[in-house]
Amino acid sequence: MAFAPVGPEASFFAAVDQHRASLLAALRGGGAERAGGGPRPASSSQVLASIENVIRDIITSLARNEAPAITIDDRSSWENMKFEDSVGLQMVSHCTTRKIKSDSPKSVKNFALILKILSMIYKLVQSNTYTTKRDIYYTDSQLFGNQTVVDSIVTDVSCMLKVPRRSLHILSTSKGLIAGNLRYIEEDGTKVYCSCTTAVAVSSNIQGIWNLITDAKFLLIVEKDATFQRLLDDNFCSRMSPCVIVTDWENGVRFMNGCGLFRPVVCIVQFFPQSVPVFYHLKLKGKGVPDLNTRLLVKKLWDVFHVPIFTLVDADPHGIEIMCIYKYGSMSMSFEAHNLTVPAIRWLGLLPSDIKRLNIPKDALIPLTKRDQMKLDSILKRPYVTCQPFWRREMEIMADSKMKAEIQALTFLSSDYLSRVYLPNKLKFGGWI
Amino acid sequence: MEGTAVAVCEILKYLIIHWKCETAGVSKGTLLEGQLVISIEALNSKHQTNTLHCVTTIASAGSIYGGLVLEKFLKEIQSTLPGFSAKLPWTSEEASSSQDISGVAPFQMTFEVHEKPRILMTNSLMIKDFLHKIVMVHPKIRFNFNVRVNGILSTELFGAKNEPTLNLSNGMALVVNYQHYVRAKSGTTEFFCSRIHPVLGPPVVLFIPDDVAGVDLLGELILTPAAALCPCPKVFSNQLNRISSVSIFLYGPSGLPLISPSREQPPTTVLKDTFCFIDWKKYHLCVVPNLDLNLDRDLVLPDVSYRVECSKEDQSQNMDPQGQTLLLFFFVDFHSGFQVQQMELWGVHTLLTTHLSTILMESHSVVQDSIEAAVDQALEQHHQAVKAHQKLQASLSVAVNSIMSIVTGSTSSSFRKSCFQALQAADTQEFGTKLHKSFHEIMQYRFLHHGSCEVKQQLLPEKNDAEQSTEDAHENSSLEFLAGTSRQVTNKRLKKGRLRHGVEDTRAFHSARAPSPSEAAPRPAEPTVTSLTPSRASPGSGLEDALWLQEVSNLSEWLSPDPGP
Repeated sequence: MAFAPVGPEASFFAAVDQHRASLLAALRGGGAERAGGGPRPASSSQVLASIENVIRDIITSLARNEAPAITIDDRSSWENMKFEDSVGLQMVSHCTTRKIKSDSPKSVKNFALILKILSMIYKLVQSNTYTTKRDIYYTDSQLFGNQTVVDSIVTDVSCMLKVPRRSLHILSTSKGLIAGNLRYIEEDGTKVYCSCTTAVAVSSNIQGIWNLITDAKFLLIVEKDATFQRLLDDNFCSRMSPCVIVTDWENGVRFMNGCGLFRPVVCIVQFFPQSVPVFYHLKLKGKGVPDLNTRLLVKKLWDVFHVPIFTLVDADPHGIEIMCIYKYGSMSMSFEAHNLTVPAIRWLGLLPSDIKRLNIPKDALIPLTKRDQMKLDSILKRPYVTCQPFWRREMEIMADSKMKAEIQALTFLSSDYLSRVYLPNKLKFGGWI
Repeated sequence: MEGTAVAVCEILKYLIIHWKCETAGVSKGTLLEGQLVISIEALNSKHQTNTLHCVTTIASAGSIYGGLVLEKFLKEIQSTLPGFSAKLPWTSEEASSSQDISGVAPFQMTFEVHEKPRILMTNSLMIKDFLHKIVMVHPKIRFNFNVRVNGILSTELFGAKNEPTLNLSNGMALVVNYQHYVRAKSGTTEFFCSRIHPVLGPPVVLFIPDDVAGVDLLGELILTPAAALCPCPKVFSNQLNRISSVSIFLYGPSGLPLISPSREQPPTTVLKDTFCFIDWKKYHLCVVPNLDLNLDRDLVLPDVSYRVECSKEDQSQNMDPQGQTLLLFFFVDFHSGFQVQQMELWGVHTLLTTHLSTILMESHSVVQDSIEAAVDQALEQHHQAVKAHQKLQASLSVAVNSIMSIVTGSTSSSFRKSCFQALQAADTQEFGTKLHKSFHEIMQYRFLHHGSCEVKQQLLPEKNDAEQSTEDAHENSSLEFLAGTSRQVTNKRLKKGRLRHGVEDTRAFHSARAPSPSEAAPRPAEPTVTSLTPSRASPGSGLEDALWLQEVSNLSEWLSPDPGP
């Protein structure tokens, strides 16, 4: 690429290139791309017909003097999940369901809200317009109560109708940022040039982006936007060029006072109603899950370029959880695993074993909380851990030490240790698992 | 209170106190069980025009009056009714020598009086109300009340043996069937939880002011208030329920109504004013005394009644005009370390009927706290129910509007047609109406009826020995149900010659109309309920209360923000 800065010598990426070659070989050996599964993009008429079927069933129940109920595949039970190394977590074909009853005090409101959102989707599809989950919430914030209610119902509806979110004409607000060696054209023709010094917001319409171009040797997913920003400030992308780094700000804590904080970040305030000043005092607490658009982008970059993808997360159960979601998917979105998971993702850092290996001072470590330990135990019991013995070993190290460490713990060694020593060495010598 | 009524009530009070004292030594805490017959035979006087010569007989069989010293009884009754001119002759001296098969002499006493027909009618209504009040806390006592005027007989039975009750301490049980307190709303009875759910306030010791003591009491007076909303707050209708009235019932020791024996005083003045004990403003209730108490009805008459004025908010919210009644029961009991003597109880009753307000005022602060504790809980249930109702309505509205939006916005004629056909609607408007109606009916029926308190109460675990009385009731009910025969006819009410519950009768005061088959048919057995004995130390801690609190808890859960779908 003409705009690409000069990175390290080609030999620097020998391990990365070798890794890529093995990934490609595995792909070829596994029959090229995995067979497509899960919901496929649905036409407008299909979505409308699906919604009409739901309504028809409800009215038929009423006509029979029966209390209507909405049936949704139960994605809360591990019994309904199956694991395939090449796909991640998927729903079993004959899974149990849960009923949202209209005659139960506990569920009647949820029943009504599902219908409300179905009616909104129906109009959106009919008029071929799009909205965001946040817009939906603000149409009647008092009724919905909080944003998570809308988020959850939209996911349920997507699962119930067996169509991807975008086919419902509901976009998720992008919370991801991307930088590095990448350019593409958005559906509306907007040309996006990512650079090594500035971040660009991840598009809300990943399906619509096209003409992606990159020479990147690898893609690095960074758990925290603060670390992401630090890497940009340290010219990590330039020095490791060509590469792409991405973060999902839902997993960090971010205070924004307008769009100016992040230098030429594409301002996504357009997705919010004018009257809602949400962007101007946005505080997104950690412990979130990777946002859908960032996952879709990572998946798309993998599908198009097959570049190695690494993750840089905290050495704690939550960081591992985020990495697992990128790699194998989540239960709640398991019905769409084929469109979201990238099993080729590798764990670059921060590894619990790095703590001892690098002699990170104890002061920089944090004891595991009970919640952390429960989370760790739950991850260790998941089906995909059995095929990741190195991951299991790292988690056992964490469990034994009863300590966790944030990425920032590396600053105790040196302020730019992460970007100048840790990551380059890991990439050069293949320090991923 | 008029002559015959005062005499009958005082005699019954004396007899029940005696009965209570007699049984207390044997089985303290058990409910009194037996039958009393009160008969008034009235014939036109031969000497005075427009006057009836009335012969009143009070009789009973069995062991109710064991140990009663007749001369003493007669003397004390006459001292209580100084202005009462009728004699109280024993007319069954011979009978006293003949014993029934149980080996106990039957009891019978008679007195005579001349009264105007209208006065006799009023007296009869007062006696009926008195009897009704007694059976509300002594459900196993049965009263057979007969009035024969110039050969025309009116008979009424009072008793609540098989009715659901809440056991109170000291051998009393409050009947919780709401139909004793308010009339059923027409057309919605099938959805009702037919019970009230009284909440007991903490018992408080009442101090007797020096200037009213009069008697030396070797014990203490304890007030236990109870509050309940009637009908059950879980009853939903299309309209929100507002509290439209307050009814207060006063009971003294032995579960006897506190009715003034004074002939001049109307029976509702024992407790003159409740404004000192309940801060009505706290509950946003603007109450005004309701003096329009109609004796001539089949509901138990409150001792104090208030009408709650309709607020502007109520009017704007399409509140149900009939509304709910806040029932307050004040149970004043007498406790002593020793076995309470009959005359002691009689004296306490006299003291309370004349000085209740003063005694309550002496302990004003604790009395108010206790009453308001009960009212707070009862109204919390009400508020939860109102909120749940609002939430249900909101959800219904959202669901219906969403479906309407999809159906009316659809360009698929086959979809629209299938929807209309399913609900047999000719057009969009009719579809909308039927959709709302269907939703409302199904949802209301499902989780308002099936989730009612009664269904849960039928699932109660086995009761312990202390709840023997209820076990009996339950057993009776089951046997009746299995036999498929008419149950023991209790609480048969005759009003204006109108026959209810299939009781054999003729008319006395009013012209009777022939009963319709439906009216004459016996009612199906009431669902029998486990009674509970809330501990004095922890009022309202019975199992029934626990269930009711569970209901409230469910409501709270239902009202709490959704954790997310």
